[in-house]
Amino acid sequence: MQDKRTTLAEAIAAIPDGARLALGGNTLHRGPSAAVHELVRQVKRGLEVVKTAGAYDVDLLCGTGCAASVAAGFVGFETAFGMAPSYRRAVEGGAVEAKEHACYTVIAGLRAAVQGVPFMPVAGLGGSDLPAVRGFRRLADPYGAGEVVVVPPLVPDMAILHVQEADAEGNARIVGSRFEDVLMAQAARRVIVTAERVVDGACFEAAPETVAVPAFLVAAVVEAPRGAWPCGCAGCYDYDAEYLAAYVAASRDDESFRRFVAEHVLGLAGTPRPAPGNGAVAAVGAPRR
Amino acid sequence: MTTEAPAGGQNGAASPRPDGEPRGTDPATMMAVAMARLLRSGETVFHGVASPLPMVAALLARRLHAPDLIYLTIAGGVGARPERLPVSTVDPALLHGARALVTLTDLFDLSARGRLDVAFLSGVQIDGEGRLNLSVIGDPVRPKVRLPGGAGSAALMPTARRVILWRTKHDSRVFVERLDFVTAAGNVDRVVTPLCVFARRSGRLVVESVHPGVTAEALRSATGFPIAVESGTPTTPAPTAAELAALDAIDPGRIRESEFG
Repeated sequence: MQDKRTTLAEAIAAIPDGARLALGGNTLHRGPSAAVHELVRQVKRGLEVVKTAGAYDVDLLCGTGCAASVAAGFVGFETAFGMAPSYRRAVEGGAVEAKEHACYTVIAGLRAAVQGVPFMPVAGLGGSDLPAVRGFRRLADPYGAGEVVVVPPLVPDMAILHVQEADAEGNARIVGSRFEDVLMAQAARRVIVTAERVVDGACFEAAPETVAVPAFLVAAVVEAPRGAWPCGCAGCYDYDAEYLAAYVAASRDDESFRRFVAEHVLGLAGTPRPAPGNGAVAAVGAPRR
Repeated sequence: MTTEAPAGGQNGAASPRPDGEPRGTDPATMMAVAMARLLRSGETVFHGVASPLPMVAALLARRLHAPDLIYLTIAGGVGARPERLPVSTVDPALLHGARALVTLTDLFDLSARGRLDVAFLSGVQIDGEGRLNLSVIGDPVRPKVRLPGGAGSAALMPTARRVILWRTKHDSRVFVERLDFVTAAGNVDRVVTPLCVFARRSGRLVVESVHPGVTAEALRSATGFPIAVESGTPTTPAPTAAELAALDAIDPGRIRESEFG
């Protein structure tokens, strides 16, 4: 058995600028927030974020300049906290490209990648302007009448998933909703798993069907208790409404957003922090004087 | 099958409030009840993210007239019986009581092959054909306002058998003659708002019923596309005592009001 345990800092350091990252979870639930915080601390640039429905993860990566584009069906904090302020501002200002998908076309693109085929047909989309702006082509049905929209493969360079339990080799168990995590793990070139608990893999032998992602797909395992926070993690904790409300409120302008990130993301107590090296962390985090 | 007990109370006119307004004609209650009445027993019914009113409506319908309604959400629980209603409609609370779990992919596939009976969707803008915009205000490449995105709507709207749109704001900036962007179009059956219920007939939204206390003039001026409100246009029946009792049991914390900022 290969022990793939590493630190969050090391796992994230392996991600180059410009990478296409698929993030597990959905809106306020089981997003890989600890890993996202580490992406911000390491000042990644030019990332493309792939997700069906994102919130804090996507918004934070847009607000801190890490993301260059977002391929997603929905970005928002749902009814409780509303629109994604930094995503919105970054797209409106031209800093981030919104590659809007229907959630199903994200799934279809991932499926094309999973199945190793050059494109995936998708039902629906009739009457929508999205296929035209995304450049999705229509093909004649080779076996019958009519046409179908086809989407190209969406191959993430890295999928980052936060799960409740993993073993040191990378077998990852998800409790409750799996969202698109399994597809992402299969579609991506590499997978990082962060887990609430790293457990002895022998305990999965009694019920291997509860393991969502097999170890052979996983490159790195990081034990990250509360690693979805401020998202919720089913069976472990609810999303942190107070923090998320404060985050959205602080995002009203650049200055207060920068202060909030400096205090809560760059300065998270007890989290391993890499040396900034190029000094850019300070540039992101420090309040303007 | 549901294991919930049938709601108590009698069918009939709601008792008036002390101030004279019939109880339950507040917009959130009217909308939840109007949406629930559109659902039928045995139907597969789906809602996505940010959908407190559809959540309440589906649970209300199942408790009252649609006991075999199959309640589906992004959380993936099939037929969940939540103990408490979450504001986030992807919450693990929507797994409670479910006896099977599916993925979002499974639900889109269900719709794609024509087996999803009802999808609840919404739009920041909705036009007179029942098409919607959840993408941008202004230019798509460099928008004036970047909206959250259409989530599942572009795929679900043409493939679900019936689409019920809801929107908690009814004014001429929401119900527009022309969309800035068509995020989704398709099988819209009804549109429920705080003022009325639209039905789509021959490709156009027509006023099916007007909620109690809403005048024809108020409805016309709040709607950006031409509508006909005849003297014979029915009033949406006020919630019954049975509907209100069931709502109190399902949604004692009035999560249905969370969409009214």
